[in-house]
Amino acid sequence: MCDTGRIHQEIEEGISRVMDQGASYADVRFHPEDVSESLVMYDGNLENNETLQQSGLGVRVLWGGAWGFAASSDLCRIGECFARSLANARTAASLVALPLDMGRMSPHRSAFASPVEIDPFSVPVGERVGLLRRMDEQISEDWIQRRIVAAATQKKTVQFWNSEGTFVEKKLTNVFGTIMIMAADKDGQMQRRSHDLYTRGSGTRGWEMIADDELFGGHAQRVKRELADLLPAEALDHGRRSVILLPGQAWLQVHETIGHPLELDRILGYELSYAGGSLVTPNDIGTLRYGSEKLNVSSFGGIANSPGSFGFDDDGTPERDYMLIDKGILVNVLSSRAMVNEVNEVAGRQVVRESGGAARASSFYRAPLERMTNVNIVPGDDGTLEDIVASTEDGIIVDTPTSWSIGSNREHFHFGCEIAWEVKNGRRTRVLRNPTYQGHTVEFYNSLDAVGDASTWRVHQVENCGKGEPNQIMQLGHGVPVIRFQNVESGEKE
Amino acid sequence: MLDTHTREVLTGVIDDARHKGIQASLLLHRERSHLLRIGNSSVSLNTSESLTRLKARVVDGRREATHTYLGELGTDDARETLEAAVAKVREAPERDFEPILEHVDETVIQEDQYDPALAELDGTSKAAGYARIMREIGPSVTYSGAWSSGATETYLLSTASEAEAYHRCTDQQFSVVLKHPAAEWELRTDDTGWRVLDFSAERSIAEIRRLLPVYESRDGIKIEPGQYTVLFGAQALAEILGMALWTGLYGRMYEEKQGWTAHHKEGDRVFGANISITDDPEDANTFRYGFDLGGMRRGRYPLLEHGRIAGFMYDIETAAKYKRPLTGHTTQTMSVVMDGGDGAADPLAAVADRARVLWIPALHYMNVPSRAKGLFTGSSRFSAVVVERGRIVAPLFSSRVTESFENVFNNLSVLSREQISVNLSDTYGQRAPVAWSVPSYAVADGIHITDTADSF
Repeated sequence: MCDTGRIHQEIEEGISRVMDQGASYADVRFHPEDVSESLVMYDGNLENNETLQQSGLGVRVLWGGAWGFAASSDLCRIGECFARSLANARTAASLVALPLDMGRMSPHRSAFASPVEIDPFSVPVGERVGLLRRMDEQISEDWIQRRIVAAATQKKTVQFWNSEGTFVEKKLTNVFGTIMIMAADKDGQMQRRSHDLYTRGSGTRGWEMIADDELFGGHAQRVKRELADLLPAEALDHGRRSVILLPGQAWLQVHETIGHPLELDRILGYELSYAGGSLVTPNDIGTLRYGSEKLNVSSFGGIANSPGSFGFDDDGTPERDYMLIDKGILVNVLSSRAMVNEVNEVAGRQVVRESGGAARASSFYRAPLERMTNVNIVPGDDGTLEDIVASTEDGIIVDTPTSWSIGSNREHFHFGCEIAWEVKNGRRTRVLRNPTYQGHTVEFYNSLDAVGDASTWRVHQVENCGKGEPNQIMQLGHGVPVIRFQNVESGEKE
Repeated sequence: MLDTHTREVLTGVIDDARHKGIQASLLLHRERSHLLRIGNSSVSLNTSESLTRLKARVVDGRREATHTYLGELGTDDARETLEAAVAKVREAPERDFEPILEHVDETVIQEDQYDPALAELDGTSKAAGYARIMREIGPSVTYSGAWSSGATETYLLSTASEAEAYHRCTDQQFSVVLKHPAAEWELRTDDTGWRVLDFSAERSIAEIRRLLPVYESRDGIKIEPGQYTVLFGAQALAEILGMALWTGLYGRMYEEKQGWTAHHKEGDRVFGANISITDDPEDANTFRYGFDLGGMRRGRYPLLEHGRIAGFMYDIETAAKYKRPLTGHTTQTMSVVMDGGDGAADPLAAVADRARVLWIPALHYMNVPSRAKGLFTGSSRFSAVVVERGRIVAPLFSSRVTESFENVFNNLSVLSREQISVNLSDTYGQRAPVAWSVPSYAVADGIHITDTADSF
């Protein structure tokens, strides 16, 4: 194992060396500690009992307006990593239409640590498993055919240096939890109901979250009751009606049809060969009516107990709090430093003033790209869920995704959910199974006619957002209230 | 074969474990990956990763634990990785079934899909390949794409046997996407294989030139939702097949009655008689793995024969839980082969007698709204066109297919006689080369298009 002092020295020397060789910018992310654990209790058996421990560094060099990146898990070969990254940048510079530019950022020395009361890795494994077992006992019934209780924990230290003189150390902790049960319905088709750990945005971010009954364990009885209601239920008929999304579904709607299309690399066409493009163009920023006046969407890196909060992004930019959509108008996008100059050039005017602090890499061995932080719908003034139901003539309430499929430019979508409740004349009438709905993004958000108040707002913890080549899994958050849309195509035609 | 030093380190650790009575396996995954990405006609990313992972799994009676280490790997690191798994297993609760420890059946050293030239392929050659395509096709469009290549080593040892399993391979996946800045259509071509020669700029240029005139001269068409005859390209076919196999023939789904085969059994006819599917690790169109990560020697394994279920796939966990025989499917890297038919090599000739056909080469973002019903959904992407009487008449706007696996695979009226290798690799966490062999196209009748967009 190589000594930490020598590693730091080699990193600083490496940055100086590539700058002397003509690079216009360089940065390094070193992960001295990066541990994640997955515990999955499946039908009462601990089937997944895995820990991943990793360390290494990634070097990014901008040369001639083009990126080179190299990463290694071998900390005794740091010099090679710099040399390869520089060589990669030089090769990339041979084919550049619009040179990238990081702009300017004042150097700073900063630190961030997730607010944590109980470090999840300080809790003995037996105690962590014990919590899962107690949860499993709560959801165990003869009629329930499958039971899953899962906890995933992550802890990492990321040290960041760049050629501007910035140094940032981040200590990040995340905890995720899921309860899921399944049983066959009256037609012998397996139905499921689940609950994911959520927060209300304030508080700490350690093991205490999963131990909090309000956020996690206390939902076991509700989940069982709702699965029991699903089994004899009728399937949702095809038709057009109001659709009310509970936060357990609304987060994914926001994620797929606001978050991803507002990532600047997608808007500029850098994800075309894989994840896809965006319905948004640079010229739409500041002008596009994305939704009704009730739609207010923020990107807020500062939600205390969300995996989308990290203090400083992987460009070294501090987390920011800004509006993406203001009273329905698209006003900003998710951006990193290197894309700001380009989007303004393409638009022919200044449409993005500064980096949105959204450059994120999943690990030391992946290069940063535009990712969501916490993309949220701001609570509205349409009251509680009950108030919104009371003002609904013909609709459904849906919760928890089972399926999501979105067009390549995010212009249209199709979602399947675990459960629906029919609403007729202001009252919940019955449970319906196999609910689906589909729509076209801009038309859909323009039909938004009710946004729940702060009492309905939840921060959903996202463990596994996939994007990029090479592929990256990222953690983030979405704070969302109850929201209602009008005249939505829902259910499948037989 | 694995380098001597690493092999000695790992065999030393596993021998020690054996002498101490620890039931353990060690799985080494080492990759040297390179990827060059193109966006807006520029190189947007040029990356190299050199990563070594060691996974130790320990079984103690009915307890099990795994610890994976990614980092610089010396003797101490390997020992500490195993010790971490041993410490974890002591605190794990007992299951109500006995886990199966990996057992390397016989020593396997497989390097037949390793090309040193591809292992060393760097960004300079890749940038030159893209530059040539851009030069030949011209600047009227913007170019995107990715060219991933790498060398991967997998090495498995277990205290359950003295044998060792080693696999070394190279793989590459190339794509180029053309987008018209005003009309906004997107065309894509791909190349895949394990040799450096599997990429051909000429082939990509010819494929682009075949479709470009249609896209340049015709506006896109938005069709009405309804039932259509669809000519699925190899990529779309492989994607649908992948979802169908996962939800229908994966042992866990089947045992737990979660998928669309819940009420079927081996021998039941679920698809048309023209559908035969095998997991065949000898097939040259696939990335071949002669053993799985449970240590089992992999051989030809029929999944569907003439539309009838021939076998379900069990990984080591599912086999242990449901007391089923192992089938060699503790793996990400299956070699699925779907048999072709007698359709003409040219897909347009195959639909020359059809009034209107939607040619959908690829489906974007597929998902399964109902596993029990085998209902999938996904939207057309890249190079989709409307074909009338065997002639391409217009590009097709993004169109959503929402259909059941059974409807698709019971209504394939034409299957190409030509087999295509489709690259299904991913790099989530680690490099995992996967390629399947499927007919170059299949014509499916009565497919439901449930939504259509005003754009590509």
